[in-house]
Amino acid sequence: MSGALILIVEDNPKNLKLTRDVLQFKGYETLEAESAEAGITLARERQPALILMDIQLPKMDGHEAMKVLKADEKTRQIPIIAVTSFAMKGDRERLLADGFNAYLAKPLDIKELRKVVENHLSAQS
Amino acid sequence: MERSTIDRSTPASGASRERFMRQYGQSKDSQSISRRFSYALIGVVTLFLFGFAIIAIFLNTARIDDELEARLDNALKLAQISLPTPLWNLDNDVVDDFLGALFLDEAMVYAKVLWGGQAIVERKSRGFDEKDISSPERSSDFISKSSDILFEGSKVGTIQIVLARETERRQILLQIYAIIALTVLIIVAISLTSIIITRRYISRPLWQLQESASLIANGDLETSINTGSSDEVGSLAKSLNVMRESIKQLFGELSESKDQVEEYSRTLEQKVENRTHQLARSVEELKALGEVSQAVNSSIDLQMVLTTIVTRAAALSGSEGGIIYEFDEANQTFHVRAAHRISPTHLEALRKAPIRIGEGALGRAAATQAPCQIADIHQDRLFAALQVRDVLVEAGFHSLLAVPLLRESRLLGGLVVYRRVLGEFPVEVVNLLQTFAAQSVLAIQNARLFRELQDKSRELEIASQHKSQFLANMSHELRTPLNAIIGFSEVLLEKMFGDLNDKQEDYLNDIFTSGKHLLNLINDVLDLSKIEAGKLEVELEKVDLRQLLEGTLVVVRERALRHDIRLSLDMADNIDTIAADERKVKQIVFNLLSNAMKFTPDKGEAGIRARKSDSVIEIAVWDSGVGIAHEDQQRIFEEFQQVERGLTDKPEGTGLGLALTKKFVELHGGMIWVESTRGHGSTFTFTLPVKGSQESKDAPES
Repeated sequence: MSGALILIVEDNPKNLKLTRDVLQFKGYETLEAESAEAGITLARERQPALILMDIQLPKMDGHEAMKVLKADEKTRQIPIIAVTSFAMKGDRERLLADGFNAYLAKPLDIKELRKVVENHLSAQS
Repeated sequence: MERSTIDRSTPASGASRERFMRQYGQSKDSQSISRRFSYALIGVVTLFLFGFAIIAIFLNTARIDDELEARLDNALKLAQISLPTPLWNLDNDVVDDFLGALFLDEAMVYAKVLWGGQAIVERKSRGFDEKDISSPERSSDFISKSSDILFEGSKVGTIQIVLARETERRQILLQIYAIIALTVLIIVAISLTSIIITRRYISRPLWQLQESASLIANGDLETSINTGSSDEVGSLAKSLNVMRESIKQLFGELSESKDQVEEYSRTLEQKVENRTHQLARSVEELKALGEVSQAVNSSIDLQMVLTTIVTRAAALSGSEGGIIYEFDEANQTFHVRAAHRISPTHLEALRKAPIRIGEGALGRAAATQAPCQIADIHQDRLFAALQVRDVLVEAGFHSLLAVPLLRESRLLGGLVVYRRVLGEFPVEVVNLLQTFAAQSVLAIQNARLFRELQDKSRELEIASQHKSQFLANMSHELRTPLNAIIGFSEVLLEKMFGDLNDKQEDYLNDIFTSGKHLLNLINDVLDLSKIEAGKLEVELEKVDLRQLLEGTLVVVRERALRHDIRLSLDMADNIDTIAADERKVKQIVFNLLSNAMKFTPDKGEAGIRARKSDSVIEIAVWDSGVGIAHEDQQRIFEEFQQVERGLTDKPEGTGLGLALTKKFVELHGGMIWVESTRGHGSTFTFTLPVKGSQESKDAPES
């Protein structure tokens, strides 16, 4: 599923760069947003195949952004993967129950990132 | 109650008197002594008299018989003297006259003179038949004799005389009648006499005695008994009198004791009443104190507690109002803290005039550290110039009692109660108020302590919140750069962007593993802090233990292969699923296995052994490694307590692994311990309850 467009919402530039580089290396096209608001705008405009959404973001957080996107008809079908350093038990379950399609723990495990992304894009096609 | 018991035991009471009479009283229907005596007397006299009469009749009969015979003999002698001559002369007329003369005796019935065998003269009374003499049935009715009449020695004739016993018998009969009459007369006389005598000398006195006895029985002990006569009855009467006196005395004593008993019971009743009153009061006091101490202990609302105290204190001391003052150390004044039944205006006035030490009753109580009372507020010198006095007088109070609130001679305040009447307070009230004062002190103390405690705990809570927040933030802040460090080094190690030389790869490996180490450290610290904050809980689910243990062995297999360490799993057949938090149990086993790997030299052995007993699953992770010194065995479960275990490889770990493992085991309600000998390997054993820890209600049955 190379060439698919993936939106990365992440406020930390280094983490953003890392994710972007890994995904680009695997041949995906990437869009970057450093805030939830920018991410929502980009998602509406560009209709990415997948969104990697950081949870802890300034102002609107990733959780709210996901709800907005899932409520919008234009973006509802886009799978959103939560990326968080929350380590609390039950966080994963809660995030999935709330509407996220998958969950990735920070620090990102590159292999796991690739696997999850691949799984979702192939499932979609 | 007791009095009625006493009454019942008194012999003079109605019912018992009747019973007494029934048992011992002489009924008038029964035979009197005099009658019985008369019967006996009459019987005996009658017997005697009749005996005597019979003897008299017998003797008389005999005498009359003799007399008759003598008369017959006399007649015969007279004939013998008078008749020879006439007979000789054959003068029958003279003989006939003689016989006629004989017949003057009325008993004479027949007379016959024989001469030469021939009756010459014969005379008989009327109705007499000659044959009667010879007839056997009538022979006893007559007495007959005959005699020869001699004239100068020769028989000239014979005379026969017959006397009838009839007259004699009539005489005897008369005599018998006379005797009987006499006897009857005598009997009647004797009887009458005896009856009169017994009546007079026995019955009447006895009757009187009986009357007296009845009187005594009826409880009349005053009437003296007549002891006039000096005979036996008299002495009986005297004895009875003595007895009456004794009884009277006894009764006197008895009624005296009865009075005493009654008096005693009255005083007892009084005492009981007093005691009951005291008890009721004590109970009331205790109840009030109980309420107060309950209020003190259960409420930290000082205002409420002090109001309760002042209300109860006023009620129990019979006061119409009360105030608890708190002492302000800074200003050395007393301020109204709680009040009972003081009108708002007066209260306001009192609030405006704080009391200083030495001023008024409370001031003095505070100064002397002892209760102080004012019997007449209006007249007391203590109040002379005080504004408080006017307020109190206006409020209608006339006397007061002030008790200082002291905590180990430190003045905390004062309890004051006010009455609308003049006069001193009783000692009990003063004592009671002191108790209430002590309770107030406790309440104030408690409230102060509680306030401090509350402040402290609020601070602590805030601090703890800060700590948690800090840890969460720190963990996030630390992870974010770590994310980059680990991620980029991993990307480079993956050679995504070209080859690396050996040195670069070596360094990148160091960066990557150090980053991972740091990440683990952060995670462990976060977990521990969560456990300590009580935020980490176990979530019990049905766990396939075999699968779990095999899974952890798979994770370390690569490392084991690298070091040529033989791994084994020994699991009892009776274990299948357990109720546990899968992720945490996995972490426990993984931590222990990692340690086993770490401290076991190449070509060693390590393994897991699982056993099930009644209530626990026992899981042991063992190795043939370097072991742990005995003195270190407890320490290793504490945070940051890694021990030097003599391997050339420096032990790598966060120093939190075992501490966290222990916490996880304990969260499950289990235990963990180590058995080890230096150089001979270690065995870490932990238990998990078969049914999960206490809080697992829906734990699956295994």
